[in-house]
Parts: sequence; structure tokens; C-alpha cells
Amino acid sequence: MRPLALALGLAAGSAGVLLALRRLDAVEVTGASMAPALLPRDRLLVESLTYARRRPRAGEVVLAADPRHPDRELIKRVAAVIGEAVLLRGDHPTRSTDSRDFGSIQADAVRWRVALRYWPALRFGGIGSASGSGEPWDQDELGGEAACTAFGDLVTAD
Amino acid sequence: MLTLRSLLRPTRRVHAHCDIPCGVYDPEQARIEAESCLRIIEKYEGSDDPLFRARCIHVKEERAELVKHHLDVLWHDYFKPEHLDKYPELHETFWKATKQASKVKQSLDAGAAKELLTMIDTIDEMWKSTGGPDKTRVNGRPS
Repeated sequence: MRPLALALGLAAGSAGVLLALRRLDAVEVTGASMAPALLPRDRLLVESLTYARRRPRAGEVVLAADPRHPDRELIKRVAAVIGEAVLLRGDHPTRSTDSRDFGSIQADAVRWRVALRYWPALRFGGIGSASGSGEPWDQDELGGEAACTAFGDLVTAD
Repeated sequence: MLTLRSLLRPTRRVHAHCDIPCGVYDPEQARIEAESCLRIIEKYEGSDDPLFRARCIHVKEERAELVKHHLDVLWHDYFKPEHLDKYPELHETFWKATKQASKVKQSLDAGAAKELLTMIDTIDEMWKSTGGPDKTRVNGRPS
């Protein structure tokens, strides 16, 4: 029992420190454009350590300010990263406003990455990739060509 | 003193946003496609013509896919968090109904198609009791 208690204590302690440093935060999802991976009212832990070290990668679910309403924070999946340009898409193709509407956003404007869902408890865990085969975000490494197929004339690949 | 509860309370809302939901929703749309599936299965069973039967399978699969689409739209766009308070089983109900629609898409089982109709009727009751007919249909649902 002792090592387990120690491990739990350490985990709770480091989570507390990260929360205090504003590197870990809890958010609630509203809207359905990320269904079925995320549903309205899902609660998530988000962290800002990863993107302090590297750029977002395709397939990751991130938070970013809405370019058209900066006071609104969006949650979307990274569809492609081309240079400094990050393209965001909702998982629900016909029910999402995303980079198809507002274009790409700058990589350094993406600070928060979704770490896991903690509520509802029955769906605790990581956020998997989007469902549906053949979609661009199913690929681990996404090249410019696939991104341009998905986004038409929004981007010019370098 | 930080409690676990205060740590887990969300500090902000993040938006899985969509600009233009049209606001018109009705489970009837899903039901009509599901009824088509049932009738097509019956017609399939009553025919010996291989070409007709092949067409039946093709059209039924299209209709079943439409059932899933219409249920998805209701689930994501019509139903709101406050409806979840009234119907805690809402997500489960939609999940099972869309799975049932997949089953109808894959099989030629009339029983499965009837079961799907029953499930859509359950959703219809939720839609009605949350004010769906007056809130979402122009001039209410036509009788």
C-alpha cells in the first residue's frame, strides 16, 4: 500500500503545483462540433506545458481563441500544421465552424492541449482520434498535400 | 484549503462552436427514413428478382445512413444541457438508436427495423415533452 499511497500523493501534489502555476486547468465543453469525441458538458483537463516546448501536431485537440470573437475560446482538433499556420477542424464535418470558415491561426496562439476527460467518469480518459476513415486527421503525420485536399484554397503549402 | 471538488470545478467554458444551426428539428425525419428501411426489407423478402433485391439493399443502406444523420443532428443540435437534467439517459438513448440504425443498415432483419422505429418514438417523446413541436417547427408540427 505504501508505494501506491506515495505515488498517488506525488501525482496529486504535482497536479496541485501545476494548477497553481496555471499550467493545468479544468474546462467544460459547450457545443457539439467535436461530437462524438467530445460531447456538450464533458469536463476536461488541459495543460500548457507541451506547446511551450513544441508546435501542435495534427490530431491533437486544442484550445484557441476564436479569431472572429477573441473572447470566445474554441476547442477543435488540429487538422494540419503547415509552417507556422495551424488549421483547426471540428470532428463533426457538417456542424462545425472552423478553419474552413476563418482560415488558419498562428501556432504560437495555440497554448492549451487537452490532456484527458475526467467527467463523466464513465468516459474518463484520453480523447481519441476522430471517427471515420479517410479523414485527414487520421494520419499521424500530415503532409501539405493532404491538408490542401481538406482545405481547398485556404492554404498555400510551402 | 483546496478541496478535490474545487480543483475539478471547470474554470472556463470552451466552445465546440458552429455558426448556423437552422433551428428546425423533428424526429419525424428520422422516422420516415426508418419506415422506408422496414418497407424495403419487406419488399426484398417478397421478391425473387435478383436485380430488384440488389437495388433494395442499396437503397435501404442509403436510408439507414440518413436515419443516423437525422438522429445525430437532433442529438447534437436540438437537445441542450437542460434536457439532460430531465432525461439523464439521453446520450445512452441516442447512442443505442444510432447503433440500431447501423444494424438496420447492415442487415435485412425486419425485427431490427421495427426496434429502430420504437427507439425513434422514444426520442420523439423526449422531443415533444421538451417543447420541440412549438419551438422548432414553423407553426408547430403539422398534424
